[in-house]
Amino acid sequence: MSRNHSFKVYFFIGKGGVGKTTCAASFSILLAEKGLKTLIISLDPAHNLGDVLKCSLSDKPKEVMDNLYAVEVDFEKLIVNHLKQLTSKIKDIYGYLRVLNLDRYVDVLKHSPGVEEYAVLDKITEVIKSNIKLGTYDAIVFDTPPTGLTIRVMALPFISAIWIRKLIELRLAILERRRIIERIEGKKLKISIGGKVFELPSTIEEDPIFKELKIMSEDIDLINKVLTNENMSSVYMVINPELLPILEVKRAYDYLKGLGIHVKALVINKFLELRTIPEEFRVKIDEQKRALDLISKLFSDVKITKIPLLPKEPLGIEELRKLTRYLEVLLKE
Amino acid sequence: MLKKILSSFIDAFSGFMRSKSLEYIEVELRELENVFALIVLGSFIGLPSPPTSISLRLLPYMAKELVTMASISERLDDMLGEMAGLFEVT
Repeated sequence: MSRNHSFKVYFFIGKGGVGKTTCAASFSILLAEKGLKTLIISLDPAHNLGDVLKCSLSDKPKEVMDNLYAVEVDFEKLIVNHLKQLTSKIKDIYGYLRVLNLDRYVDVLKHSPGVEEYAVLDKITEVIKSNIKLGTYDAIVFDTPPTGLTIRVMALPFISAIWIRKLIELRLAILERRRIIERIEGKKLKISIGGKVFELPSTIEEDPIFKELKIMSEDIDLINKVLTNENMSSVYMVINPELLPILEVKRAYDYLKGLGIHVKALVINKFLELRTIPEEFRVKIDEQKRALDLISKLFSDVKITKIPLLPKEPLGIEELRKLTRYLEVLLKE
Repeated sequence: MLKKILSSFIDAFSGFMRSKSLEYIEVELRELENVFALIVLGSFIGLPSPPTSISLRLLPYMAKELVTMASISERLDDMLGEMAGLFEVT
């Protein structure tokens, strides 16, 4: 496979229970049937991708039909892996704690606030980086956690980029001053810690902090580019035709827009389509009509598709196939 | 003779200026290292800090910055006096 292999990334986002997984799974089937080797990944800690596809999944890609592979990310393992490298570095430095059997207390780091979001972002970065390198898949579909967490995950690269940019700026100022002092004194700056003397790094090649910041910056830039590049990634919002969720989605839509992430389409799921309207449903249908009016007013620049509420819950590849025709429109430019 | 006196005066003057400049740069460097440590590890003292993973990834390499931060914290009460001394404000 070529290293310049082009592929597309799709994110399905929305409130919990609106049918994100069903839509993402059905969309993946559509892509696979079009001959694109597709990977669908569930990032939701409360997984149900396996239930929707009617098969058991793990964090290793499993072929669920021709051209379609599915993964359910093991959240606990994801966080542990994310922190493994960090804690192992800290444990190396404070390795002497093992003597007193105190090193286990370092494990509490996995409960640090924000680690969950970072672990999800790490997974997205890892999958995208690996596909850039190996070119295994033509399309990657992410079934995301509910809006609140997803928005925090998507904002993280932008927030991190600001911090890292400032820290790099500050680090360069530190290294520059160290070099000036070295030039004037004609020798390397040293520091004595615990009776041992260490030379202080003064160039970007020597400085481990600068190198670490640079690696973080490259990863963050990559993910920022993927998220904001409309040719490479598409964000689809799944909603139900009800007033309150629409207002929430609008806030999420504006927030993402502020981050440079453009929502390409709105999937209105569980849309009531009745030939004859029973009296008990009249109010509900009126509400739905008002909701649709509001959607077309608030999202005039976004593609909209409707998936009707089916008499039977679409579970399994065959049932999900029935929904693909409603999602075809998402692939039209 | 005059040339010799002048040359030693210039040497002494430039030496004084060099040591003064060095002192300013050293103080500036120390404060930059302190600010760096405070920004990265600000959550220790209740300041907003970068996302946890950034702090954790940098922490293992920050021995020098931590030493600087600790030493500045010890002398925080007299920092104004130290600055006044540096700029010869009496």
